Amino acid sequence: MDRQLIARGVRRCSTPQFLLWILPWAALFAFGLYCAGLCLVKGLNQTNMDNRFAFGLWIFVDLTIIALGAGAFFTGFLLYILKLKDLDAVINSAVVIGFVCYSGAVAALLVDVGQPLRAWFTFWYPNVHSMLTEVTFCITCYLAVLLIEYLPIVLRNRKLREVPGFLVFEFELHKLIYVLAGVGTFLSFFHQGSLGGLFGVLRGHPFAFREGLAVWPSTFFLFILSAAAVGPSFILFTTWLISKLSGKRLVRPQVLQLLGRISGLLLGVYVLAKTVDTLIWINRTSPGAGFPAQEYFAWQPFGTWILFAEIVVFGLAPALILLTPRLRLRTNWLVSAAVLACLGVALNRFVMTLQTLALPTLSFDRYLSYWPSWQETGTFLAVVAFGVLVYSFSFRYLLLFPQEREFRQEPAAQVSETAVMDPVGRS
Amino acid sequence: MFPWNYGFHWSTGNVLFLGAFYTVLVVVATTVASAILRARRAVAAQQTDAIRWRSDFHDLPPRDRVCRHVLTGEFQVRECPNAFDCRQCETHARLVALHPPEAPPESGEELLGMSFPLDRFYHRGHTWARLGPDGAVTIGLDELGRRVLGVPDAVDLPAPGTRLRVNGPAWHIHKRNRDVRVLSPADGEVVEATGGIGGDGYLRVKPVGRGFDFRNLLAPCEVKPWLLREVERLQGALSAEGVPTLADGGVLLPDLSTAYPQADWDAACDAMFLQA
Repeated sequence: MDRQLIARGVRRCSTPQFLLWILPWAALFAFGLYCAGLCLVKGLNQTNMDNRFAFGLWIFVDLTIIALGAGAFFTGFLLYILKLKDLDAVINSAVVIGFVCYSGAVAALLVDVGQPLRAWFTFWYPNVHSMLTEVTFCITCYLAVLLIEYLPIVLRNRKLREVPGFLVFEFELHKLIYVLAGVGTFLSFFHQGSLGGLFGVLRGHPFAFREGLAVWPSTFFLFILSAAAVGPSFILFTTWLISKLSGKRLVRPQVLQLLGRISGLLLGVYVLAKTVDTLIWINRTSPGAGFPAQEYFAWQPFGTWILFAEIVVFGLAPALILLTPRLRLRTNWLVSAAVLACLGVALNRFVMTLQTLALPTLSFDRYLSYWPSWQETGTFLAVVAFGVLVYSFSFRYLLLFPQEREFRQEPAAQVSETAVMDPVGRS
Repeated sequence: MFPWNYGFHWSTGNVLFLGAFYTVLVVVATTVASAILRARRAVAAQQTDAIRWRSDFHDLPPRDRVCRHVLTGEFQVRECPNAFDCRQCETHARLVALHPPEAPPESGEELLGMSFPLDRFYHRGHTWARLGPDGAVTIGLDELGRRVLGVPDAVDLPAPGTRLRVNGPAWHIHKRNRDVRVLSPADGEVVEATGGIGGDGYLRVKPVGRGFDFRNLLAPCEVKPWLLREVERLQGALSAEGVPTLADGGVLLPDLSTAYPQADWDAACDAMFLQA
């Protein structure tokens, strides 16, 4: 039915099959919109957050998906600025993933602000000393950049490019894409950092407070590094997952291995930096603020296991796997390591938001616990469903993996080449 | 907003922060505006067809973008940097000067039951151009292209007076809901559209400006290696769907798409007619 909209040279499932896949996600999205609507209409009393526990599921999800979405800026930086041409095979998918992650994060933030009609205040009355202002500015600007980067991918749709104006605009915009890649890198560098800085400057929460360089706490740099490290891993994992779900070869194994190597290298540096930072925090920063570090880990379930898991299980282990050439060659190891790296960044963001707020810092403070309400969970699920829907439509109607077309003919071409070159052997 | 922002002060922090923010906005807006202006200029200059071909060429798989001198074995590996427009290729000019083309055999090339007369030049998108005694050029679809498409359902030919450009669309062929764009092998102005279903040539074209320049087209000595590769590509496109193709000594059927309707002819046509 919609065959004329599907990119040339690729096969997609039938329309009914696609609708069957879309339907549950659309239902989930509708439920999530209802939950978000409740929060917007009735207020944030629909959530289990309060003045003390002001960062909940939404901020944790925002931080995580913004870190995972870093694959878009980092892949663009590697491809267009450092000219790593092999990454051309995944750049379209990376842009869509980045767009999905950032638009989802901004949508969740709009609900989280509680007064979305006053969201523009942050631009009109900016507090230039606030990390949060920088985050808001950079994220909205970068979302605009991602939208512009997404535009050429959409305009390359088989039907849309029949319109001369679209074709020519896409061609000209693509020629300038390196400018947008540069701007995206600049913006991402600062907002990833400022998201980390947000916690590092919290003097009232010595669990999160860190020393640093000039006005930037160490978490500023750690967040940049961790996002750059897991971005390629998330691209790797999603590419593999989509390949499995669609039953199609999408990129050459070398591309995934390259992503793995880049991720492993940066993850190794991150683990090293994180270890040094943790040691400084345990031995100097925290005791200096009057809190022996071991006290934080006395509050269950946040024992020392969480620190071990964050640095060793989800940091060092995937870094070592991704840096070992023999293991990188094996898809199972490669993908498992990428998943561990992604889980690691999620755990890190969980620790920075939820554990930080849960721990008591004043003598009259209680140890707080928080569990998201169903409205919060529903809104979070809407973000997930939105991501799946946008990506599914993009995968079906846009060419996200240019190498996919080559694979359809490759095995036969190789066989026939052998036959042509060695007719005697064939007989 | 800047410096009319609420609470704005001429301090280093304010200037740096808001300055960086507005610089980003200006850069992004300038980039988009520049792309829009360039696009408008390109459409006004009627460069749409050239851009469409460059865009198509960029999207072709690397093995379909190989230089013609790879076909003849002069290079092991080389991707065409000029989107198959050898008229502007210095490497091509140098190689032709080093190895001038041999005289073509009088009989023409016969391959897998297909005839390729060598009184004409071939385009890699399966068209040919033959210079007539009156200085006009006849343009047609080559034998392999005809066998791939079989008898078309309809052909959209350009009206007399239409300006054709090398690698721009020459005409469209419709077959079973497929729209195949056929590339023009030459620059010129259409004087007659004689072809159609089952016809030989399709268009007669008169030169515009300095006359015809066929350096972008395959010389007779290049036809055989090119055809061998094309048959191989066709086999590749068809074998992917499990369609039986060529046995030793076999010949191609006259209407392949009718003989094997289950094959993915979109993919085969894309491969043969360089569509992306």
